[in-house]
Amino acid sequence: MAIDLNWKTIPAREQRLGSITGYDGMLLDMATQGCQGCLKDKRRDFQTASSCAHHHLINQLAGLRDVAVVDHAPIGCVGSQVFFSSGRAKTEPPPGAPPMENVRILSSGLNEPDTIFGATEKLKDTVRVAYERHHPREIYIATSCVSAVIGEDVESVATEMSEELGIPVVVGAGEGLRSKIWASGFDAYCHAASLARLKGKAPTENKKPSISYVGFAPMGRRHIEPLFRRIGLDLICLTASASIEDFQRAAESVATWGQCGAQSSYLCGVLEKEFGVKYFQSHLPYGGIGFERFFLDIARFVGREADGKQAIEEEKAKYLPKIEKIKQKLKGKKALIAMGASFAYEYTRILGELGMEVMHTVAYHYDPKLDNLHPEERVAAATDVFELKLNVPTSVNDAQQQETNLIVKKYKPDIVLSRAHEAGVFAQLQGIPALDAEIGLIVMGYRGLYRFAVLLEEAFQTNNLVKKFGKRYVSAFSELYESTEPFQFYREESI
Amino acid sequence: MNLTCSEQQRTACGVGGLYTALAIERCLPIMHCGPGCFGNVSATLGGMNGGQSGETYLGSVIPSTNFCEDDVVFGGTERLRKLVEECKKYYDADMFMIVDGCTAEIVGDDIEEVASVCTENDKPVLYAALPGFKGNSVWGHEQVLSAIVDQFLKPAEKTNPRQVNVFGIVPFFDPMWAGTLDALESLLVHLGLEPNIIYGREKGIANVNKIPEAAFNLILAPWTDLGVAERLRERFGTPYLHFDNMPIGPTETARLIRTLADYADLDRGKAEALIHKEEERFFYYMRRSYSWIFGCKNFPRKFIVNAGAAAAVSVTRFAVNDLGMIPYRIYITEGVPEEYEEMVRAQLHNIDYDGDFEIIFSEDGGLFEESLKTEDFSIRKICVFGTAWDLVPVKKHKLTFVSVAAPYGNCMIGSRTYFGCEGALRFCEDLYANAADNIVDPGI
Repeated sequence: MAIDLNWKTIPAREQRLGSITGYDGMLLDMATQGCQGCLKDKRRDFQTASSCAHHHLINQLAGLRDVAVVDHAPIGCVGSQVFFSSGRAKTEPPPGAPPMENVRILSSGLNEPDTIFGATEKLKDTVRVAYERHHPREIYIATSCVSAVIGEDVESVATEMSEELGIPVVVGAGEGLRSKIWASGFDAYCHAASLARLKGKAPTENKKPSISYVGFAPMGRRHIEPLFRRIGLDLICLTASASIEDFQRAAESVATWGQCGAQSSYLCGVLEKEFGVKYFQSHLPYGGIGFERFFLDIARFVGREADGKQAIEEEKAKYLPKIEKIKQKLKGKKALIAMGASFAYEYTRILGELGMEVMHTVAYHYDPKLDNLHPEERVAAATDVFELKLNVPTSVNDAQQQETNLIVKKYKPDIVLSRAHEAGVFAQLQGIPALDAEIGLIVMGYRGLYRFAVLLEEAFQTNNLVKKFGKRYVSAFSELYESTEPFQFYREESI
Repeated sequence: MNLTCSEQQRTACGVGGLYTALAIERCLPIMHCGPGCFGNVSATLGGMNGGQSGETYLGSVIPSTNFCEDDVVFGGTERLRKLVEECKKYYDADMFMIVDGCTAEIVGDDIEEVASVCTENDKPVLYAALPGFKGNSVWGHEQVLSAIVDQFLKPAEKTNPRQVNVFGIVPFFDPMWAGTLDALESLLVHLGLEPNIIYGREKGIANVNKIPEAAFNLILAPWTDLGVAERLRERFGTPYLHFDNMPIGPTETARLIRTLADYADLDRGKAEALIHKEEERFFYYMRRSYSWIFGCKNFPRKFIVNAGAAAAVSVTRFAVNDLGMIPYRIYITEGVPEEYEEMVRAQLHNIDYDGDFEIIFSEDGGLFEESLKTEDFSIRKICVFGTAWDLVPVKKHKLTFVSVAAPYGNCMIGSRTYFGCEGALRFCEDLYANAADNIVDPGI
């Protein structure tokens, strides 16, 4: 169990869960070693820029409703947040809530003298400006590489400012250099939000008939809420736009699950450990197979199995004939997947369900375990390995697209399925069709599967632009690199 | 109270200077930075900046040591040296630019030493220290250019009397840099000059090599690259012409052409003919649409700028001198060095309008949104010329808006430019279309 709300600083994911960013082999072996606690990481000498915990800590915290985030860092460490602010502002607000606004993130703007003399007074002033400007109900202070290296006592500032302002002022551990896994930033977000919004709340015996979803965004909520109502559950979204009250209600719900292990596991784990909210992690609700297992697990748990089965049958009747039609066109097509830790293997199973062959799956990291109370419940990928005999050549890299590119060249797939981080862009520019897949509620259930199948069908219908890109492709790499076998930069040692 | 805190930043940190290297074809930045430093600069200068990225090198292939805790303790120069050696083998590049960030600078890693050890004749390895605690991406840009001037360029054997190097524009920080430089190049060629531009398509190291051969350097910006121009004068004796903005619209375009004709002794007749042609073309299209423009009854005459000095001076000159608009308040957000503030202030006031208006120098891009809490636009609306950050508040208050600076927005910028008379028409298309949208429901 790797959850502790008494931690001042949450350990990096590598230490907390034994997560890795370097592997090549078969999924069966990785899952087995992960379950046995003997999975080792690999280093690489030759690497490209990746992503950091700081970036994800802040974009998750700033997404919450009624908060301000103060970044104790040089001005540029929040340079990426305009992307999230823009997306968040377009998010449909919950019923009755005002439209979404820009994120409220202030930088203390650490400069050169601050690196010598410290800047806790400056930090306090920034917290005061954040309060006066936005009147948030909570303020989060994000630490950074620089604040850590110069040894700033941010905790003391948070305590002092909380007393001065009369609202929670909580520290989020955002030092990018502490972890190779950007998902450590998700953990730091979950920890900080739990400290501000859940710690000290008494667990209740009188659970409400609700289920909470931990994820990036509530997109797709309107399609999923009716399904849960069929088994008597209200849906609470702990996503961007979630209020303090949403968190409080989540602590009283009967069950919780997350969009993926990377983003959601720690907060789901807190709900389970501290409030007795059952965390369902082993079956994720994507694709038909995933949805049926997940939805029946929950329906059984709340004693509504018959209603759950009925809801599933109705969904199948609505979408399965359409999916079957598209499957004829997808049959035998070969894919390579490059995505985040959970969705990489979810889509491996889903493509199989659609009659396609997955030649290789790249995951951007791998978690051998997650944060639920019951160690016998495996992570979703390992569950599929042992329940469904899912197995595939696989590798793990932290969005090292030059590595993925060599794998693509080796396997020559019909399509590359990616999500963010440019694996798909790389493929398309070389003339290989690619599709950037969706994640979260929008992909859930048979509707989500149908939607994905339609996207795939379109991706194969014409590739005129891709072919023309391919003819004009000029590699950024030398011939020596392009003729290199994959994985030769790995060093076979544990970190 | 601390006055240096900020929100809604319109620059990236110093590491964002690597985008200047990316703007030079086949110049590969090598990062000695944390794993997320590229991501942190890439939204403001790349993806959220009109959907841009490097073209030779996509963001996902930029090498980095991904500086970590071990490097804080043991130093990371050896890992950097190995990475540079591998980059030389594995990338197809003409030049390498080592850049480092905050942590490597704090622990004292010596990137100069690594660059010197790794440089070979045909594979120059330059270095620029870009810690975010020392400056933002505009400062970083000047560090990268200075690295090229100081570490790479060699005196020329001959001077080309027609060659003019173009500086001042900060690639990516000016989101329309690529389209603007294309259009500017055509103009300079038409005037009989040989423009030497180092950024963008089919320029690259060949043009970098030609910098010392120029007859003069042309700085088209309020203040950026003046330091670089001075260095070039010191090193190669190249004089420079400082024109304080990248022109939008007939008035400033004509002034630039005449200034160049005087300075470089160009064919006056040709210059005047071009001015006439461009102006007439601009007003032809304006007259053609003026019935419709005039129908925008509530079109706000006053405007606010919330952007860097380059965008502010260009847009203010055009909006006031050619469109008859009224400056209300101008936020200058890129941290203009103190020694240039008065000059920029004077540039903004050098317009065909005598009234007063407010100029605020602050990196706090959130001041504009904050001001909306107390401003009363219920009787008369206002135009806002800003960035993607301003979109949410302007929509909320139904204000007319044109994006003019980084982060430009969640869209494809392509070869778009507001430069010259043709670009001014693009600006008017954007301005009046947005105004017309808000006039349907002005929210008054």
